[in-house]
Amino acid sequence: MIGGRRQLSGRKPGDRRVRIERPHSEYFRYAGPGVLVAKEKAHVERRPLPHAIAQLKRVLIGRPLSSESDLEERLSKRKALAIFSSDAISSSAYATEEILHALLVGGAAVLFFSVPISIAIAVLLAIVAFSYRQVCLAYPSGGGSYSVSKRNFGRLASLVAASALLIDYTLTVAVSTSSAVEQITSAVPDLLPFKVGMGVMAILLLTLGNLRGVREAGNIFAIPTYLFVGTALTMIGIGLYRIVVLGDVSAAPQIQATADLATQAALAVLLLRAFASGAVALTGTEAIATGVPAFKPPEARNAATTLMVMAGLLAVLFIGITVLATNFGIVPTEHQTVVSQVAAHVFGDSSIGFYLFQAFTALLLFLAANTSFAAFPRLGAILAQDGFMPRQFSFRGDRLAFTLGIVVLGLAAAALVTFFGGDTSALIPLYAVGVFIDFTISQAGMIRHWLRERASQWQFRLAVNAFGCVLTGIVAVVVTTAKAPTSLVVIALIPVLVGIMLFIHREYDLVATELALRPDQVIGPPKKRERVIVPVPGLSRAVVQAVNFGRSISEDVRAVHVTEDAEQGAALRREWERQIPGVQLVIVESPYRSLVPPFLAYLDVMAPPDGETITIVVLPEYVPRHWWERLLYNQVANRLKQGLLGRPDTVVANVPYRREEPDLAMAQKPGTAPPG
Amino acid sequence: MPGTPLAAPFHRAVLGLNGGATDPLVVKLGCELARSFKATVVALHIVEVDWTHDLADDIASGNELAASVLDMAEGIAEKYGVTLETHLIQARDIGPALVDEAAELEADTILLGLPYRKRFGGDFAIGRTVPYVLENASAGVIIVREPIPATEAQALPPALAGTTSGPAS
Repeated sequence: MIGGRRQLSGRKPGDRRVRIERPHSEYFRYAGPGVLVAKEKAHVERRPLPHAIAQLKRVLIGRPLSSESDLEERLSKRKALAIFSSDAISSSAYATEEILHALLVGGAAVLFFSVPISIAIAVLLAIVAFSYRQVCLAYPSGGGSYSVSKRNFGRLASLVAASALLIDYTLTVAVSTSSAVEQITSAVPDLLPFKVGMGVMAILLLTLGNLRGVREAGNIFAIPTYLFVGTALTMIGIGLYRIVVLGDVSAAPQIQATADLATQAALAVLLLRAFASGAVALTGTEAIATGVPAFKPPEARNAATTLMVMAGLLAVLFIGITVLATNFGIVPTEHQTVVSQVAAHVFGDSSIGFYLFQAFTALLLFLAANTSFAAFPRLGAILAQDGFMPRQFSFRGDRLAFTLGIVVLGLAAAALVTFFGGDTSALIPLYAVGVFIDFTISQAGMIRHWLRERASQWQFRLAVNAFGCVLTGIVAVVVTTAKAPTSLVVIALIPVLVGIMLFIHREYDLVATELALRPDQVIGPPKKRERVIVPVPGLSRAVVQAVNFGRSISEDVRAVHVTEDAEQGAALRREWERQIPGVQLVIVESPYRSLVPPFLAYLDVMAPPDGETITIVVLPEYVPRHWWERLLYNQVANRLKQGLLGRPDTVVANVPYRREEPDLAMAQKPGTAPPG
Repeated sequence: MPGTPLAAPFHRAVLGLNGGATDPLVVKLGCELARSFKATVVALHIVEVDWTHDLADDIASGNELAASVLDMAEGIAEKYGVTLETHLIQARDIGPALVDEAAELEADTILLGLPYRKRFGGDFAIGRTVPYVLENASAGVIIVREPIPATEAQALPPALAGTTSGPAS
């Protein structure tokens, strides 16, 4: 093969042919005239440290996926149900307990209200789910309530919705991991001192799992969700059989009321509080509407179907567990959760069924955080595309996941767990405040949507959303009041986040306006002339290379040498004139021994920005071969670069000089060190 | 007939590509067959060098069109999950170069496209290459014929109008 061509002879003497090497084919593929697509090999890091980091990333999160694999990475309804529903479905494990806890102050006599309350919450769930189903279909680009409020109310309301959601997603991760860790430490008290470390480790594992890509996360997290749903439905089935057929019904233990319920108003307040407490079951309902683009096509329809299946499952599990708990006379205790007592009653204490159910419940609580990992980065990406968050949030990483969103969520949640010492009860007052604000804004947005669109049956849909809006609004107020003053931190944080987002948007807008070209503008050749100035520390190969580069772009080239030693300056001038004739050398004597300020002053005086001349400062730079060499060389050049940052009509060009192998390099003259 | 293989099994196929409309058909068929036979595929594009140039002159390497013919094939093969080798050749005559290259690569099948020519009333431009390959190649040959456009098919006799593109060895 000579010059990439290899001569080959054919069967007949005249049938010669030449095989041509295609050097680009390893790295690029032509996709059209003048359009090249970089192949996987072109993305490989060549420098040692980034290469090592890339290899480590490959081990931890897998090999990079091309953008063409995006469709393959989309979620089927089955996997999406597991990924987006783990939060909502897991709440069926504790929502009943929350209602009973709230009712307990009224004594055993009011515990029977738990079933009607759970049905009322299921109705609210149906309304919210119905509303978000409409959101999925009407706003298929995702974003959920952010998109709804942006379209129907404008910027401010949409940012309030987005901030509330971002806060709640972060809290979901912190609360669910802390709660799962507490389940483990309840079983193994020796692990109690490692509570925070275990929580942080759990978040790290979830972060890594999600960085591997949405589909793979689905593979990892789908099984526990379905195992929980399967065993919980079995438990409800067996429990109902025992109640209806075998008549297995027990009365609740006698509990003295601690609150005065003499008036109807007091009872109403108690029931309202119980309703608000149980409404935590709704958290996570909005996640599917946020992540519509993660579904396989037809995205909107698949998301809407998955949402309804999720709501149906959640309602059945929630009402079922509440009915069983009420009929079996179960009340919350300090040592055992309500759902655990129900499982013990149905499957039998210490039975395999009981332990399996407990294990699956703990696992699901642990993975409930995963819903936030699916929704938070997508919302971040949408906000970034709209210019309200740094653009990096919309960049997809090697595995087509929104890397920065996942990492930021992981870090924020880990910080919360560390700050609150992994204590769930300390985190709970902050939880579920944002999501009800979000539900309310979303429902209100849908009311305006129906008023504007007036699609078929719009009056009915509007009525449903109006009813839902009032209910979720009341729950938002009750939840915030009941959990005050801690919950007010969230209320205070929302305007802070809105302010930050508005600031980012303003910055992006300002810069875009400054950088924009007028559409009618046609760019002609530059009218400015170039002037090259090369700061030289001495005479060396690096300097010669920089000077020659300067000569190739302009005829006006000056070398400037700042020195504290006049004699050394004169010696340099003699050598300069002999070895680089035709290039003017300016010696700047510096009796106060500083190097950078006199050079900058020289530029200001001798090459002031006049609007007609571009000053190109060419810096000779020595390329270090080892990391430690960076400490020895180019320090003055770096300071010069800093000094020239933002100078009008000035361009700084680095001309790197790579040291040749010792046998190839000519012997260097003494005293001509590389730029230092 | 359902279940009947489209072609005899092969180990290595050479796809002759000329940058025309039949190229995607040739590559898709080649990839489908290669996937079912677990065979390897080599895409070949031959740039004809006229007598005003020396055969060893660098004509094809900087030729974006020539490069894109093979890159297009590579892109299709990637979608099928088939590894495709690509060879760019300069020769005086395409037919002999294709046959010789296939022989050197020990290919047992050659796939070629036969384009439909709309001009002059519409016909199949069989040219010199296809007959040469059919007469001289030791490997099996599959010709992938371009479909006749629907508008022109109506004007043809019923027997011809019903035919569609497909491999013929």
